[in-house]
Amino acid sequence: MASSSISNPAPNFVSRTALSTKPIVELLPGIVLLAVVGYGGKFIEHSIAAYGKAHHLVLPNIEYVLWAILIGLAISNTVGVPAIFRTGVATYEFWLKAGIVLLGARFLLGDISRLGGLSLALIAIELVLALSFMTYLGRAFHLKPKLISLLAIGSSICGVSAIIAAQGAIDADEEDSSYAIAAILALGAISLFVFPVIGHALHLSDRAYGIWAGLAVDNTAEATAAGALYSDAAGKVAVLAKTCRNATIGFIVLGYAIYWASKGKAAVVENKAAFLWRKFPKFILGFLLISLLATVGFFTKPQILALGNLSRWAFLLTFAGVGLRTNLRELSKQGARPFIVGAVGEVAIALITLGLVYGADHLYHL
Amino acid sequence: MSADSKSHFWSTDTLAVLVALLAALLVRVGILQTIPW
Repeated sequence: MASSSISNPAPNFVSRTALSTKPIVELLPGIVLLAVVGYGGKFIEHSIAAYGKAHHLVLPNIEYVLWAILIGLAISNTVGVPAIFRTGVATYEFWLKAGIVLLGARFLLGDISRLGGLSLALIAIELVLALSFMTYLGRAFHLKPKLISLLAIGSSICGVSAIIAAQGAIDADEEDSSYAIAAILALGAISLFVFPVIGHALHLSDRAYGIWAGLAVDNTAEATAAGALYSDAAGKVAVLAKTCRNATIGFIVLGYAIYWASKGKAAVVENKAAFLWRKFPKFILGFLLISLLATVGFFTKPQILALGNLSRWAFLLTFAGVGLRTNLRELSKQGARPFIVGAVGEVAIALITLGLVYGADHLYHL
Repeated sequence: MSADSKSHFWSTDTLAVLVALLAALLVRVGILQTIPW
């Protein structure tokens, strides 16, 4: 959430100003709202289960993740999120990153190298196919060239943040960024509801589903939620796969920056190593450090359990934020063509990655 | 991710890592013992 500013980040009403520049008092109301909405989701899940048990009824188990998102969606799309809460709600990305770092305690480095290595191999294939397909599709629909680049980057790597990272690097219009962000967010919201259904229909294992969600859902918050909606174990794997995908952001954005600079339509990248470091998601280093500490036995088992629970609480705030920042009316204002290109591309990417995961599952028994 | 990780030190990424590490340290030294879920 930083200094990269977008005048109209579409549904993402949250201005991406640096978290640290805001006084705590300004953040508190929104953080409390995140906690209330998130805990509300947990409370509803628990209440329904308790009611079913008390009355000997078999009620569908709807996860707190979905309740938290639905409550958030209901607020943002009816009464709207009052201005006093917005700055604090924007911290959902901070909670997401803190949750991912803490989740590192639940992974041994061996798991990371095995699952992460497999994920990286699948990501390499996904990136080539997704970038090529989105570029072809954008050209077929006569979208502006830089909007095509933004949509390709957003759908192949990392959603909103990748688009914002690329916007500055390739000197794209803010309007193009808003279109691309709107398309990615709308499709992310849809994937939350569709992915678990497909996963269950295909009887995917937790690991296979988690890798699929991590490879195919663009925004990290939505990928984490889509994984957690399936199961706790799938959520864990989805975060790992998505984190691997995030790690590639600098390389792809650098590639596009060099391409547009060669055409004289973006600034030349002077120091490529510094560029890569600037774009590298630093929280991944924190995730690896905690995992290393867990692997060498720095934490006891109860402590690892406690860290895992802390991570769950952080994700709970994130899920509330996903619902609260999604405004369907704003999304619909962003124009049909970028959305159609995004939607067709996302469906294709989801199918391709599903095929990849299916193949890997048969070969390596995920 | 980390589009926001601009050059200034106090980015969301850095803060998230520091807060998470502090929480892990508090758990390790026993100040935070049981975290219910």
